[in-house]
Amino acid sequence: MSRMRISVIVLALWAAPGLAHHVLGRPAYSLSEDSNTPPSMEVETQIGDYFVTFMAFPAFPRPNEPGRVNLYATRIDDGTPFQGEVSFTVRDDHWFSGDEENLGRQGPDDNVYRQGFVFKEQGDYIVSAHFESGGEPYVIDFPLRIGDPSPVGPIGITVAVILSVLVGVSLVQRKRMQRLKLSSHRESVRDHG
Amino acid sequence: MTHPGLPLWGGVVVVTAMIIGSLWALRAPLPGRVRARYLELAGLPVIGPWIRRLTASPWPLLIFKLLFVALFLLVIVAGLFGTPVPERNLATALTWNLWWTGLIVAVFFLGSAWCAVCPWDALASWMVRRRLWRRAEPANSLHLRVPRALRNIWPALALFVGLTWLELGVGITTSPYGTASLALLMVVLTTVSLALFERKAFCRHFCPVGRTVGFYAQLAPVELRPIDTDTCTRCTSLECYHGDRDVEPCPTHLVMGSLTQNTYCTSCGNCVQSCPHGNVSWRLRPPSVEAVQGARPHWDEAWFILGLLALTAFHGITMMPFWSDWMTRFARVIGDSGQLLWSFSIGLALSLGASILFYALCVALTHRITSGALSYKRLFAGLAFVALPLAFAYHLAHNLNHLVRESNGMGALFANPLGLGTQPLSDAERHLRHMDLIIPQDLLFAIQAALLVFGFWLAVIVLRHRGRDLYHKAQALAGWRLAPMMVFVVGITGFHLWLLMQPMVMRM
Repeated sequence: MSRMRISVIVLALWAAPGLAHHVLGRPAYSLSEDSNTPPSMEVETQIGDYFVTFMAFPAFPRPNEPGRVNLYATRIDDGTPFQGEVSFTVRDDHWFSGDEENLGRQGPDDNVYRQGFVFKEQGDYIVSAHFESGGEPYVIDFPLRIGDPSPVGPIGITVAVILSVLVGVSLVQRKRMQRLKLSSHRESVRDHG
Repeated sequence: MTHPGLPLWGGVVVVTAMIIGSLWALRAPLPGRVRARYLELAGLPVIGPWIRRLTASPWPLLIFKLLFVALFLLVIVAGLFGTPVPERNLATALTWNLWWTGLIVAVFFLGSAWCAVCPWDALASWMVRRRLWRRAEPANSLHLRVPRALRNIWPALALFVGLTWLELGVGITTSPYGTASLALLMVVLTTVSLALFERKAFCRHFCPVGRTVGFYAQLAPVELRPIDTDTCTRCTSLECYHGDRDVEPCPTHLVMGSLTQNTYCTSCGNCVQSCPHGNVSWRLRPPSVEAVQGARPHWDEAWFILGLLALTAFHGITMMPFWSDWMTRFARVIGDSGQLLWSFSIGLALSLGASILFYALCVALTHRITSGALSYKRLFAGLAFVALPLAFAYHLAHNLNHLVRESNGMGALFANPLGLGTQPLSDAERHLRHMDLIIPQDLLFAIQAALLVFGFWLAVIVLRHRGRDLYHKAQALAGWRLAPMMVFVVGITGFHLWLLMQPMVMRM
């Protein structure tokens, strides 16, 4: 089988903390007072022979704030946890963005692979986990938003659409009025001879 | 964290009522004509003149519109600029915990009053008409007729399915940013529709909220109607339809003199203000009277009602603790990954299909029993109104749970609407909120059981009257011939009861 890749990009709304609230049955982020666990973002996916849980801490990381991703992979057929090594890379989540940076290579710690990160700039990123099993390469992509999404997008689109429609309607109406005036003028000229 | 479901005693009450109601429906003779009593609110002593003054003036409505628009803009600002933690952001908490749940409860008392103060429409009207109130001439709209293919409520049904998909599948209810973006999208749709089409085509044909409110308002105990129908019969100027120099025409093309259904009335009060005879007023009525007498769903309306029934139940199903296991297992079967949107979409389609198929089968059996005296299509549309009280009752009972258990803490949210500097709710806070109900839990359960009984009873009454009205007297659908449709009513109520008796996952 050629290289497997699963993209779990959830388009524009991926950063919603409710990624899996109803779908996967548990809040995608949670805060436990007792364990001091920070809120996390979580996505579950299956790829090839594995069922993978991918988590990012904190759920809403900011620039220059340390965070980490946790990966947990079990075989779909018998639930055995993956025990090999996993390497993590990151790239910008933009079209035509080719540059990929290595984050690190990790071994299992109690069956969990933990990779720390610090991002200097806010934006949308894709963190990828790479491992091999049964001689086949696996790649799992996890979208990660650093900082708050820009409010300019929705506001800008709304203002642009509404303005262009209103301006368009005004222009059409003005033409209609001119046509109406012209035709009434012609009629009055015809009537008066 | 989950909310406890309706206890066994609640279930026993509902099942007992279903047994008694079913036996009665199958044995009782044909029902007679309903003579309903109405109470003209404008004619009441002391408060009557106040009501007349308040409804005849544009000011009270404008003040409410300004208030709701301010709240709506606050939701957008909070959603776009505030914390992404949903329970700490006013956008998500106000929209989904208070408005979306409270809206259905409000219909029970106020009918389609929400549409009169809807901020989507208010903002769109102000932007297109460029006036805060009173009639704008020219109206700055192209006044195009809605294309024939869209001159129905299929677009509203499609948008309602889409809204459910965004709400429960994509999880927009827990995304302040997504919630604000959706709010802006609705303003865009409303504005574009108002700028292009005549009157308020969005309200009539496209708005999923307005159509939901409109159908449920058919079961509401209030209506806007002529005080004296003879005055309407003699009226030739029809200001209620055309408007006057100052007042806009009816946004949904209704003529007050022939109005028998609340469905498309947006409660805007234009007819009250424009009627030169002061002949239009609010009045109270028995909640079942329109369902029994006036409601005649068309083909598209019948489908909307059935969609409403299916989607309300689907809301309940997705909030059951077992739903996530089902989805995960199903996702593994079909190889779905990530947010499991394919699995969710298929689940949504199956849920819609199952409810409608069940109804279609019961109608088919009825059609067979009556030897095809009516066409299947006519029977399908004619009996669909039976599903409306069932959907409304369950929707109310389900939403009441959300409202009573999840809407507290709003004061703190209004104090910090953007949730700046806040952390997600801790387990202890969640637990506290979970235990701190607005009303006692047993009262909530009692209301839920009563609502299910109310919905069942109303559905039975509607069925009996439809059975009488759809056929000629000799062929009337009565007695054992009602059995297939009674199976539908009992089956749906039983399913709703079972859903309510399960623990329910907290929204946020």
